[in-house]
Amino acid sequence: MNRAAATRRTTLIAVAVITLLVAAPLALGPYAVTTMTRMLAFAVLVLGVDLLTGITGLPTLGQAAYFGAGAYTAVLVGLHITSDAMAQALAGTAVGLIAAAATGWVAVRARGIVFLMLTLAIGESLHQVAATWPAVGASNGLAGMPPITLFGGPPLLPAGFVYWWVLAAAITVFAAVTLITRSPYGRTLRGVRDNESRMRALGYRPALARYSVFCLAGAIAGAGGALWAAQGRFVSPGDLGFEVAALALLSVVIGGAGSLWGPCLGAALVLLVRDNLSASIGGHGPLVLGLVFVAVVFLLPRGVAGIRHRRESRS
Amino acid sequence: MTPVLELRGLTHAYGSLRAVDGVDLSVLPGERHALIGPNGAGKSTLFATVAGTLPATGGSVLFDGQDITALSESERARRGLLRTYQHSSLFLNCSVLDNVALAVQRVDRVAYRFDRAARRFGRTETRARRHLESVGLIGRAADDAAALSHGERRQLEVAMVLASQPSLVMFDEPTAGMSAAETERFADLVERLPDDLTLLIVEHDLDVVFRLADRVTVLHLGRVLASGAPEQVRADNAVRSAYLGSARTDDLFNGGPR
Amino acid sequence: MAAYLVSVLNGLAMGSLLFAIALGLSLVFGMMDVLNLAHGAIYLAGAYLAVALLPGDDVGMGTFVLAVLAAAAVGAILGGVLAGLTRATPGHLDQALLTLGVSLVVAELLSVAFGEEVHAIAAPAPFDGGVPVLGETYPAYRLLVIGFGAVLAVAVYLLIERSRFGSLIRATVADRAMVSALGINTGLVLTGVFAAGAALAAAGGVLAGPILGAQPGLDEKVLLLALVVVVIGGLGSVRGALLGAVLIGQVQALGTSLLPEYASFLIFVAMALVLLLRPAGLLPPRTAVRT
Repeated sequence: MNRAAATRRTTLIAVAVITLLVAAPLALGPYAVTTMTRMLAFAVLVLGVDLLTGITGLPTLGQAAYFGAGAYTAVLVGLHITSDAMAQALAGTAVGLIAAAATGWVAVRARGIVFLMLTLAIGESLHQVAATWPAVGASNGLAGMPPITLFGGPPLLPAGFVYWWVLAAAITVFAAVTLITRSPYGRTLRGVRDNESRMRALGYRPALARYSVFCLAGAIAGAGGALWAAQGRFVSPGDLGFEVAALALLSVVIGGAGSLWGPCLGAALVLLVRDNLSASIGGHGPLVLGLVFVAVVFLLPRGVAGIRHRRESRS
Repeated sequence: MTPVLELRGLTHAYGSLRAVDGVDLSVLPGERHALIGPNGAGKSTLFATVAGTLPATGGSVLFDGQDITALSESERARRGLLRTYQHSSLFLNCSVLDNVALAVQRVDRVAYRFDRAARRFGRTETRARRHLESVGLIGRAADDAAALSHGERRQLEVAMVLASQPSLVMFDEPTAGMSAAETERFADLVERLPDDLTLLIVEHDLDVVFRLADRVTVLHLGRVLASGAPEQVRADNAVRSAYLGSARTDDLFNGGPR
Repeated sequence: MAAYLVSVLNGLAMGSLLFAIALGLSLVFGMMDVLNLAHGAIYLAGAYLAVALLPGDDVGMGTFVLAVLAAAAVGAILGGVLAGLTRATPGHLDQALLTLGVSLVVAELLSVAFGEEVHAIAAPAPFDGGVPVLGETYPAYRLLVIGFGAVLAVAVYLLIERSRFGSLIRATVADRAMVSALGINTGLVLTGVFAAGAALAAAGGVLAGPILGAQPGLDEKVLLLALVVVVIGGLGSVRGALLGAVLIGQVQALGTSLLPEYASFLIFVAMALVLLLRPAGLLPPRTAVRT
């Protein structure tokens, strides 16, 4: 297949998927729409994890912390400053970026499994801070955020309107991440993933690339958190816990590290199991997800790294 | 004329073993300088120490007259001191074009840009393709580097280094493991390189050395044994007597270890 | 002065527990680069085993020791299973994900069996009171834990530094390939260390029971503290784990008594500071010369 035809096909699929997503609230009930809104917000977090894990080869268990930072920021902005969703999302993104920049330098000195370990330690530390700091409600979290507004309009109460806002934001992030992976910067990140010492010999500073992408992923996670809060209008320490970080990594792994749409589907699936199927299997969603983790490791040929080689698309 | 590269008493010790032991060497601009010596002579360590992969434990490295001993490997590369690897070191899960483009985009200062897709950076893409063309790999631009044969990988290495706008290239045993035809093609490639590019080549294949080099330095047990024009070195008494007691240096060179 | 001493003692008790828990995590990582994310869940299994075996407020010393031994046995079995699973998995990321999955499963099974509420565990009878320390009453059980920590540290020191098995462990941390090239069955050594480390973590769960209790989410907190201890001390280093455990125990106790809201923040600051000054940790293990 030549490139023009491939591009045309990709465009067609993208248009079809976006149309379906936009039309969804017209056909579905509010519960399903709420569920999809949460999936979209979670998918944004997963895109950031994919940028780190799939594109740059840095497996992370700390992104939930920046997701949480964005969610807390959005709720605080909503409670005290403005109900404007755009302002909340931008504030969440900025705080996610700042939090990642302030803590990430510890992690990016390492790579591989030690990086995983350090991100987990950072993420859990921030989780514990959220769970004990009275200023953000400690273990109770923050509730009572007013409904979001857009462009000074009335409060967006119906689930469908919140969904459309989150969908628009998620598509923007998806497009931005797609552009990043195809840009020279994306090429630099793949170079760091494949062969860091060779990058150094070519005159690159791999640590700079790792740090910058860590900050970027933090900003994306912060945006995801703000969107998450726009739907739930509530945030608790559980939103930045170990489990959220683990599920985000799982989404990337089952969706195929390096691909972008795969992890988004993975995010939807993982959240569906945790929040929705959970009720029908006696509330044991985490049990199922734990088993999925184990199964994924054993069933994927050549392990997790194998997916990357199999699915990475060539242009 | 200021030497491009000047080593003053350069030393690298692994514990008490001085693999490179007080080496003095200067390489003039445009020179094709070969470094030879048996296995264990310290050639690879010398290479790594000059490139900055390993730190010097003594002495200094001057590049274009400036002391670069304290600089990192990547800073040396940015100043134009590039090396290839004895075992090809590529970005195996990236396309062949990406491998070269990584070198070009750093030189073009667009390596951290993400405002446009890479293929819209026309100048960078054109230059990357031209470098692939010059080593005969343009037909494989879209393939994974992992799919290349051994010889093709060495060619890609060369393209990557040349794409980094070097003023000095250090080749670490470039023809090791190559077939005769591939070696021939490599020698052709080197002969066609611009005259102002300085080369330092570690090589076991003495035919290649005497075809390409205009100066030869012999390294033995981490020290410089002899240095001079190829014919001079071939006839050098120190080289002759110090090596294995061999009566004729020709034996040494022709029957030398691979 | 007395308040300060109480904080120091609390820190030592916490440090003793952390050493028991972090030791296995550190050695398993040092010897085979496996990050065992199920370590916290194994600890929690030990804690809940104490809940099951030690009902009520009146616990005899014999029963308590029995519970510790039972937890160690359960931990060893879990560790053995994990060792087997990880050894069947290629790649370190896959292994970490595998242990992550196991930890989710174990934690969920535990909360199914024991519910979401907080369980308190009574200290064994002879130690459930207080002893006077500089005019203040201090829980006797914590002194017992400090004593246990001291004994464990000495025992581990003798095992690792003086015995043949210990030299094998140290050699494996330094250069795994060389040890197996010498014809030693590293698989057996690795499984043994994995099981022993997990046994210590589960036993730590029982020992920590009278101080920390048992509740869902405790596994994450403990895993975090153990990770920080391992990172601060140096991956794969026994002496590092001890120093890191004592240090984090003190930071934790001091933080809890002075700035309870920021205690976990202090832990992160301590880790960041150590990594800034000593990227490889305070007492990194000796490794073979790599050229």
